Amino acid sequence: MRMRGGRRAWVSALLAAAATWWASAGPVPAQDGRERLGAPRADDGQSSRKPAARNRKADPNAPAVAAARRSDDQGADKDATLAPRPARETVEADVSTRTIAVTSAFAGTEIIVFGSVVNSRQPSAEAGTYDIIVVLEGMPIPLTVRRKTNVAGLWINTDAVDFESVPSYYAIASTRPIEEIADPTFLERNAIGHGYARIAPAARSVIAAKPGEIRDYKEAVVRIKQGDGLYLKEDYAVIFIGKSLFRASIALPANVPVGPMTARVYLFREGDLLSTFQSKVRLERSGIELWLYRAAMHHPLYYGLSAVLVATLAGWLASLPFRRRPPA
Amino acid sequence: MHIYLPIAEMSANVLLFLGMGCAVGFLAGLFGVGGGFLMTPLLIFSGIPAAVAVGTGAAQIVASSASGAIAQYRRNTVDIKMGLVLLAGGVLGSVIGVKMVRILRLAGQFDLFVSLAYVTFLGVIGTLMLIESLHAIQAARSGAPIARRRSGQHNWIHKLPFKMRFHRSKLYISAFPPMMIGAFVGFLGAIMGAGGGFIMIPALIYLLRMPTNIAIGTSLFQIVFVAAVTTVMQSTENYSVDIVLALILIVSGVVGAQYGAAAGARLKGEHLRFLLAALVLLVCARIGWDLIVTPPELFSITSLGGLR
Repeated sequence: MRMRGGRRAWVSALLAAAATWWASAGPVPAQDGRERLGAPRADDGQSSRKPAARNRKADPNAPAVAAARRSDDQGADKDATLAPRPARETVEADVSTRTIAVTSAFAGTEIIVFGSVVNSRQPSAEAGTYDIIVVLEGMPIPLTVRRKTNVAGLWINTDAVDFESVPSYYAIASTRPIEEIADPTFLERNAIGHGYARIAPAARSVIAAKPGEIRDYKEAVVRIKQGDGLYLKEDYAVIFIGKSLFRASIALPANVPVGPMTARVYLFREGDLLSTFQSKVRLERSGIELWLYRAAMHHPLYYGLSAVLVATLAGWLASLPFRRRPPA
Repeated sequence: MHIYLPIAEMSANVLLFLGMGCAVGFLAGLFGVGGGFLMTPLLIFSGIPAAVAVGTGAAQIVASSASGAIAQYRRNTVDIKMGLVLLAGGVLGSVIGVKMVRILRLAGQFDLFVSLAYVTFLGVIGTLMLIESLHAIQAARSGAPIARRRSGQHNWIHKLPFKMRFHRSKLYISAFPPMMIGAFVGFLGAIMGAGGGFIMIPALIYLLRMPTNIAIGTSLFQIVFVAAVTTVMQSTENYSVDIVLALILIVSGVVGAQYGAAAGARLKGEHLRFLLAALVLLVCARIGWDLIVTPPELFSITSLGGLR
């Protein structure tokens, strides 16, 4: 509840900011969300997806700033209501838990991403007017991928490709298969889908590798991550509950790498992107887990010495009950 | 019943690891080995990252060896003087070994090196012990005079300088061979995530001609300290010691080791060596199999996050 109140204040503050910006619209550096919504209004809602896609390409960080722009969508909608055409749909969403505590009892959990389509024109939950794609992505981490080949009968790591950034976790939930919702160009530009996740090889590896080889390694990353349960894809996991309310449940396995996560929500109608939303999820160690992890990473010497001490003590204590046995 | 491991970053079944610790602890106490050569592969098979398995294994060896060493000490089978000489070499070997782990891991050849080291040493030592123990058992059965250690026997080892008298082992030899054995075992132990008892004990028995029971006790004594140094080194160099996992293994391991040590006292030396040889060869075969058979996934991913 407290969070909702804060959210309302936040939205209205941004609304005010948006209004100010609108008044002084001029040679301000082009912002993705603004342009994206500006374009469809200019050509009356036709072919909104293409400009959106183009502008997204111009700004590779688009998803990262999309959330802040959402208020612009609303601002624009308020303006639009003056015109004699139905209000434009936008999406509002949030995650069930913003901060997930990883304690000693952590055995995986699930996050509910829920939200609603503002100005929904959908007659019922089953109508299928809108498509939603939810992407939950972990922080990017560097990885080395190695390939074994058979050398004199033994399987040995012979080739390697370094990747500068690979999403540590990547889950997609959607109302139906994402390939049916949007075209491949859009998916690729927005890094939606395991095949389009931002898996960036290091420059030195790209130079050293043979053409086409990097793709094998990329596919291997996705395959291994899928096998570990860290790359997930649920085609029908986003469910409409009413004509505007939807929810999706996304599993976080116990081996999920601890760190910040980003949830992105995309709203589509007949293949056209209408609106996006972004939220942060934090996965944090807490309690004794945090304490031990910090000790191990920041004071490794003391941690190591204590580990030996604790181990010796445990070994000695456990041998005490056996003390009375006569020596063999 | 699950618990989240802070360094391994995964949720683990407590009962599974308690059982594993108990079983390995029993064998460790029985044969006087640290149990690391069983524990490390078992941890890796159960999904613990290799780096964490090796690091945590060292901490677990400290505890299981400590309780085992106490049991051995009470049975008066520890040659302290010999143990200290072995230890001097062992610490040096361990320091070099942990550095080597880091280099190999960065080069991506760590797993291969570990497997090859295991196959080579487990194979050679297991085969030698198996043959020797079978001869001894056969000799004992046929009633032939058992080839006891002849104190008058000399080889090149006895011609080296800096001779020391080891009363408990009934030896008068140079300090160099034990120190070299200690260094070699310390080095391999750090790389293989094991205390190295399975190499140390045969070396003491067959190279230095120590009595089996004294070799077991002394080996266990020095392993406690070498494993302690390795634990600290793995913490500072590789950030790979998971104390929560270690405690689970320790609690079960020390209890198992006590029963193992008691059971070992009731078994004959040659039978003990035969069983150890069979176990060593079994682990060797299992690891060797993985090197030869085509892996289902040719690619592997490594995050070097912990190896900055």
